[in-house]
Amino acid sequence: MNVRGFFESARFCSLLVICPVLFAVVLTGCEKNSEIKVYRVSKAPLEESASQQQDALPTNTAAPRMPGGLSPAAETAIVTPPNWEPQPLSQMRQASFLVKGDNGAVADISFVSLGTGAGSVLDNVNRWLDQLGQPPITEEKLGETAQRLRTSLGDVIVADLAGLPKNADPARDGRIVAAMLSTADSTLFFKMRGNADLTEAQKGDFIKWVAAVCNAQTETRSPQMLAMPTEEAAAPRIKWETPEGWTEIPPSSMRYASFSASAENGDKIDISVVTFAGDGGSDADNVNRWRGQIGLAPADEKTVNSQITALKTADTTFATTDIAGAKARTIAAWTRRDGHVWFFKATGPSAAVEKEKPKFVKFIESVRF
Amino acid sequence: MLRKIVDLVTSLKLTIVCLAAGMALIFVGTIAQVHLGIHEAQQRYFQSMFVWWPPEGRGFKIPIFPGGHLIGAVLLINLIAAHAKRFRWTWRKLGIHLTHAGLIIMLAGGLFTDLFAVESHVRLANGDTKNYSEDMRETELAVIDTTGEDLDQVTAIPEGVLRHSRVIDHWSLPFRIVVRSFYQNSRLKMLSRAGEGVRPIANQGPGAMIAVQPAPRAIAPEERDVPSAAIEILPKDGGSLGTWLVSDALGAPQTFACGGRTWMITLRPSRYYKPYSVTLQKFTHEKYAGTEIPKNFSSKVTLIDPERSVNRDVLIYMNHPLRYRGETFYQAGFQPDDSATILQVVHNPSFIAPYVACVIVAAGLLVQFGFHLVGFSRQRRNAIA
Repeated sequence: MNVRGFFESARFCSLLVICPVLFAVVLTGCEKNSEIKVYRVSKAPLEESASQQQDALPTNTAAPRMPGGLSPAAETAIVTPPNWEPQPLSQMRQASFLVKGDNGAVADISFVSLGTGAGSVLDNVNRWLDQLGQPPITEEKLGETAQRLRTSLGDVIVADLAGLPKNADPARDGRIVAAMLSTADSTLFFKMRGNADLTEAQKGDFIKWVAAVCNAQTETRSPQMLAMPTEEAAAPRIKWETPEGWTEIPPSSMRYASFSASAENGDKIDISVVTFAGDGGSDADNVNRWRGQIGLAPADEKTVNSQITALKTADTTFATTDIAGAKARTIAAWTRRDGHVWFFKATGPSAAVEKEKPKFVKFIESVRF
Repeated sequence: MLRKIVDLVTSLKLTIVCLAAGMALIFVGTIAQVHLGIHEAQQRYFQSMFVWWPPEGRGFKIPIFPGGHLIGAVLLINLIAAHAKRFRWTWRKLGIHLTHAGLIIMLAGGLFTDLFAVESHVRLANGDTKNYSEDMRETELAVIDTTGEDLDQVTAIPEGVLRHSRVIDHWSLPFRIVVRSFYQNSRLKMLSRAGEGVRPIANQGPGAMIAVQPAPRAIAPEERDVPSAAIEILPKDGGSLGTWLVSDALGAPQTFACGGRTWMITLRPSRYYKPYSVTLQKFTHEKYAGTEIPKNFSSKVTLIDPERSVNRDVLIYMNHPLRYRGETFYQAGFQPDDSATILQVVHNPSFIAPYVACVIVAAGLLVQFGFHLVGFSRQRRNAIA
């Protein structure tokens, strides 16, 4: 067969082959982003530990940042326990570690920094409890269980929560130790979640690490930040005049301040000042929580709002409510200011609270931000 | 019958119709960029088989015009078919054949690039190491089994599946995923700030405290949609683990347990993992003295490939990309405060096609003009003789 004959006999064959192939290619290409893919990735970058990876780098190169996200100076100031293995960072994690214990027990440790709208401490603690399959707790319960850790960046609230979600692996789950700190421009979350015993064993190191990270963050403030007035603690300072007859008692971990007032018959009234970063949830949620504490059923939002009155002071305007149960009564005032919500609350026997109400109002009117 | 089909496929009329349709499509697609943005207009008009029209308030779409892929494919088939049908082998026409072959390779290369090239990017701060790049537009629902000692198993569900599927049942998962709602672009607000009457679309995780509001599609080139979805997890052995909010804006993955394993879910930019890593050693952003006018951007990276025992430093700068394992890393951008570099990663299996096509076309033209030159010289010599 000569060259011409070869090409001419092949031309119709080429039509029959090329056309379907091209259409198949077009259709295949159109489907390229619609397949579910399954693959495995190393928990550690490129299946090497951080130290191995640094060893692999030529001597004239800079070492990778570990853990990423912290400022370089802060990293050098923080010594992490040797058994904490650095992990690849996700979108939000600025530090991530894995601790391994006996019998396959592991605990995951993370540090995440979010903006100021990251919810209140109670919201977040209840979210973590939910992750452990546990029911939410009240503000009072949180006040009893949470610890306060003083750092140069502010007071860190530490919560230790236990519970094993349904179908969870006890080697990997069962306890969360979480720490949360709100500053003027961010909310820092530190979390350790894993096997209950291992988490308990690592709690001391975890709290030291949290304190080191917070202290290092303060030490490494930029010159511009150093020039700005610094906050002594996460919560801004406020002033008031303590009414006569009220005794200031040491605040619990969650309370900014606590007072006690005694009625003539010996009944005690508990007065608390609590503050959270953010807006602290809706008014209806808070009032219904207080209603529950004195044995009242929740009310709908309209009813709650109808019972809220404004109290204008020289400094700001408070929302106030007065709710009475069969035996106990709560009067509360709250205001939102500079990214924080402030709750002032007096709870006690109805008659005693009624008698102390004028002092409580005077106390609120004396508050200066 | 076959003859009629062949006549149709090889007809010059089909060529004219395709060219006219192509012109109309380019005109309409260009105008549409005003309202849809470049990316969406490209998707709808040029990177599709058909241009679809959804009637107002109806749940279906009607194809109203051939899309770019269809027109290009038909045009290419028409060119190949016509050439094959009318092909007559003579040495004198070698140049013409080569030139046409070059054009066919160029057209096919363009189509293949459109279909199979993948563009993504890597954002690296100084010292960061990454072994994956992220898609600039597409997102995926990553369902990660974190139970393994050393490896995580990732089931990556593309955004397209989330958008179109009500129930996702995959062999790798011990649960079904029911997509309760999907938002192509959304804004997230804390529930307490979203106003009265707004309800969360999820009842598990942080999504229970967040309100999701639909937002119009992002059309500016520098903007990006923030997709969100409410997904319910239904274990295959019965029951429900609740409804979760997944969103590109949510960031941190959420964790739950099912089937004795621990799972993480996150909606994130689609990832393309690589068997090698790049570490940014230094990003340099030079400006002309006394001005803010950029003079040069460059990224010094270390490329580490354990499989091939590669460990070397590479300087990536304008027009000097890094080519490795079929991927090209271009210096594409940087963070406004110079804190990170952005490298565009292009994987294009047919990147060689334009070069090959140009060489073949050039050779064809040389041969064709060479024949004419020789013929003309002979005629002239004969005339003189």
